[in-house]
Amino acid sequence: MKNKSVIEEADDVRRAVEMVQLGARMQMLEVETRLSREKLLRIYKEVRGASPPKGMLPFSTDWFMTWQPNVHSSLFMNLHRYFTGVGVHGLDAILKAYHLYLDHIEVGVIEPALSLTRAWTLVRFFDADLLQLAACTRCGGDFVVHAHDPVHDYVCGLCNMPSRAGSSRRKAATRKAVSPTRKLVTT
Amino acid sequence: MDRPDFQDDIRELNLAYLMLAQQMLRSDRATALFRLGIDERFADLIESMSAAKLVRMASSQMLLPRFRFDDEQLARLMAGEGRDAASAGLHAAILAAGKAATDAR
Repeated sequence: MKNKSVIEEADDVRRAVEMVQLGARMQMLEVETRLSREKLLRIYKEVRGASPPKGMLPFSTDWFMTWQPNVHSSLFMNLHRYFTGVGVHGLDAILKAYHLYLDHIEVGVIEPALSLTRAWTLVRFFDADLLQLAACTRCGGDFVVHAHDPVHDYVCGLCNMPSRAGSSRRKAATRKAVSPTRKLVTT
Repeated sequence: MDRPDFQDDIRELNLAYLMLAQQMLRSDRATALFRLGIDERFADLIESMSAAKLVRMASSQMLLPRFRFDDEQLARLMAGEGRDAASAGLHAAILAAGKAATDAR
């Protein structure tokens, strides 16, 4: 870590700042940059004005299956898929897709259910073949599902909306994006 | 009898579109390609054009930007039809992004 170029380090600092601004946790910063933990901590504190939250990242794929997170995750993965398709990979693809995701959230005046760290975890789950995209048989859109789930008669959560889905959206407006609420799981 | 020819409005819209496209391409090319829905070669062309050429290109009696989503279901969702407008908007965004990803291949 000591003997790398100054330009590479400057690039890492720029990316780290962007990630922290978008709400990244320390674990993501440590994997995606080659900066020391001390340096990352200083960047985090300087950008956010507070110490990063401690503790482990959520590691279950189940969260992405609950109704609202699934819709948001599916939007993110469709955006991400576009960028990998045109030759943008790795962190760049995640950041570009996440910016577009946030743009949609802003236009729709809805709560961002997916934090950057969650989005990053989501891509890692895809890379590890734990999750996949399946086409809805009604609307034709692609949605996040467990890998190896049968998908030949899959219907997405938006074509087949559970009766209470979306009703807590306005109440959720005051909550933080980093503490997503758990909803009733359908199917 | 007065016949509105919309010529000035079309020219203005064309020019606004071309200038916006050029700015977007120069700031973040990959994101601009996604948002504009144009291919790489056309993007190269617009990006390299001088202001004078953009103005000349805009002076057409035809509208240059074209409607991307000739899909009735998607258009309805975009307009917010459905149980609630926010969910319809998300649904539309998922379908539109999926189409863009498929078209780009």
